[in-house]
Amino acid sequence: MIPGLPDLVRMRRERFDRLQEQLSVGGLDGLVLLGSSAVTYATGAAMPAQDGDRAALFRAVAVVVAGESAPHLYTLFADGAPTELHEDHLHGPLFPDLDDGMDQFAKALSGHFSIGARIGIDHQSHAMLRGLSGYDWVDASGVMGAAKIVKTPDEVACIRQAQLLNELAMVDALRALRPGVRQIDLSAVFLRRVFELGASAGGIDPIWQVMAPYRELGPWTLHGDLAYPTVTTDRFLRYGDVIWVDAGIIWEGYASDYGRTWIVGANPNTQQLGQFRRWRSVVDACLDILKPGASGLQLARVAIEANDGVRPWIEHFYLAHGVGTDSAEMPLIGTDFGEGFDEQLIMQPGMVAVFEPVIWEDGAAGYRSEDIVAVTDTGWVKLSGSTYDPYGFAA
Amino acid sequence: MSPVPRDRGVLVGMMSLEDDARVDFSLLRAERRAKVFSGMEIHGLDALMLGGAGDVHYVSGARQLGRAGVLPFAPVAVVVGETGRVHLLSTWDEGVPPEIAREELYGLSWNPANLMAALANIPGLRDSRRVGTDGLTPMFARLIAELVDGGELVDAAPVMATARRIKTPDEITCLDVASAIAESALSALEDALRPGITERELLGIYYEHVVRLGAPTPPSESVCFATPSRGPVRYRHLALDRPVGDGELVVLAPGALYAGYEAALARTRVAGRSAPPGAGDLASQCGRGMDALLAVCRPGNTGAELYRAWEGSGNSDSPVPLAHGLGLGAEPPVIGLGRGSDAVLEEGMVLSVQSWVAEEGVGGCLERAAVVIESGRASALTRYGRL
Repeated sequence: MIPGLPDLVRMRRERFDRLQEQLSVGGLDGLVLLGSSAVTYATGAAMPAQDGDRAALFRAVAVVVAGESAPHLYTLFADGAPTELHEDHLHGPLFPDLDDGMDQFAKALSGHFSIGARIGIDHQSHAMLRGLSGYDWVDASGVMGAAKIVKTPDEVACIRQAQLLNELAMVDALRALRPGVRQIDLSAVFLRRVFELGASAGGIDPIWQVMAPYRELGPWTLHGDLAYPTVTTDRFLRYGDVIWVDAGIIWEGYASDYGRTWIVGANPNTQQLGQFRRWRSVVDACLDILKPGASGLQLARVAIEANDGVRPWIEHFYLAHGVGTDSAEMPLIGTDFGEGFDEQLIMQPGMVAVFEPVIWEDGAAGYRSEDIVAVTDTGWVKLSGSTYDPYGFAA
Repeated sequence: MSPVPRDRGVLVGMMSLEDDARVDFSLLRAERRAKVFSGMEIHGLDALMLGGAGDVHYVSGARQLGRAGVLPFAPVAVVVGETGRVHLLSTWDEGVPPEIAREELYGLSWNPANLMAALANIPGLRDSRRVGTDGLTPMFARLIAELVDGGELVDAAPVMATARRIKTPDEITCLDVASAIAESALSALEDALRPGITERELLGIYYEHVVRLGAPTPPSESVCFATPSRGPVRYRHLALDRPVGDGELVVLAPGALYAGYEAALARTRVAGRSAPPGAGDLASQCGRGMDALLAVCRPGNTGAELYRAWEGSGNSDSPVPLAHGLGLGAEPPVIGLGRGSDAVLEEGMVLSVQSWVAEEGVGGCLERAAVVIESGRASALTRYGRL
């Protein structure tokens, strides 16, 4: 049962329990996490969205010790620490990227782990490789991936809420769409609105890519397939342009993922409506078989079949991906991990999948949208909305 | 893009002048590359494998998708000394500068085995004996060691941090533009500030403003916070839904990025007409702290001088850094929070310098500026009136 709004304290406790369970499965003494989304997952820490190197230099660090009842958070952003995090688990910032920060970091770790401890880690700076000796570092991705792939009901509620805010702000952006508007103008409308509505953070520069009618008229690619997504600029949007929109924001640590196709200054013509119907039928074919026990490979196969044998996704992407504290995470279906991987990927209750097939008719561009569903005990429940303006409505 | 954009739509925008009077980006990129290759030679590095957003930007000059947050290390750009070439993880050439040829791109992979196979095809990489990286993960440490069979993995920082620390004139111009964007955003926030508005609404106004100016990715969403005129005053980073109270001191701290270069700026303003009693003294104390810090931002001085200047102007430990480097985002050194006493300031470095003071019963006051260290003094890149 997915709550209307999440119980955040319960959600953080259940996530922490999952990490503890996976530490035990993996035989690890703990985790040291430096990546933004991993820290969010382990601790529930909120932090202001920051760009690249600023996010690195002033990163928060999470330490999870096997057997303990709560994580440790080292952060400059004390106002983002969860309310229930006890004072002795909330610490000042570490600077893992600086040699100058290693005495402090080493001292902190010695308070959590004994020499020789086997610790999962997601990123190592050279300062850390020089300054933090005596531990057996292993990749944290196994523990993190296993914990994150199945969401708790509260996590699903967070994703649904993030998606709702994203979709509401897009109503305003779509209203602003007309010939002569620039890509950045749409971003401006969208971002202002989404923060007014309650977004915790932006995640990614919103994308409003104009799809040239022919592949050959779009950007050159290594694989000959479509380029997507390309970066927003002050490019003008012009009458008849087909735009593939993609945007994600963060609410309480969880990413949304909004994907739709828009047309500038015109309604879709018959051919374009046909593309939309085909997109819908591909997603519906997947949803028809989606339930616990279905494999990624089965989903990929029905999607291809519904598109008359043509793979309905871009070569460097996927038919579907998960979403959570990362905007694209497991389960990934249809990637270059290959069919063997997809076959082993069995859908379970609590997995969240973003289906984003692409219908392409060379010469007439194509249609792309994203439907987000959570797998339930018997089937699925939709987390994203069901309007596909200006193409119409579909359940 | 290389050699010409296939999608001509990217040309339909206005951000250039017909006489190319603004930043010469091809020169900017060439100068950055030259510094990197010369650093590799000095430090005996055959190749670099870089994943940090600033490092990738520095060596490639590519216009890449803006994303908040930091990811674990992965090789996004590869620099090979022997061939003098830069290779970039990009499945397409839009956003890639012309000096990176199409055959020097490698595609997005979810499967690390496929990524490593693509990297193995980069001419000269597998034979590299000393490879600099700007981070590792246990998995990539193993995969890269296998790739450069027997090669040594070392820190790329002596090359990258050194190249990035001292700015070229074109880099300073980019920082000037970023500073002007930040000033413009501060004016927009000042215009919007009134009792009753929320920090979240101000954040929305900030975003709308910088995005319309063409700078869609902010360096940080920590752009404003109101400080209480009663009870303890803490520095805050996250926007709240609470309406700003009449007479509260409000920190407005909008940063900006231009072509990746970051400007930092903050001023404090009163919401409403009447400032709380004591606000004038607090603003003076903030200004004195800032002036004291700026006075010691001179070539040859160390972080210790900034600590002394800060304490000498009557302040106790600051909960935020006194200063840190700026360039393609935030850079070392970090001076403050117990770090950076030994960091040496050099001519051509750019710093974000800030003075934060607070007093119970009054509120808090922040001033922050981007400054470039010139011979003998610091010169402000950001300009804005004080409280």
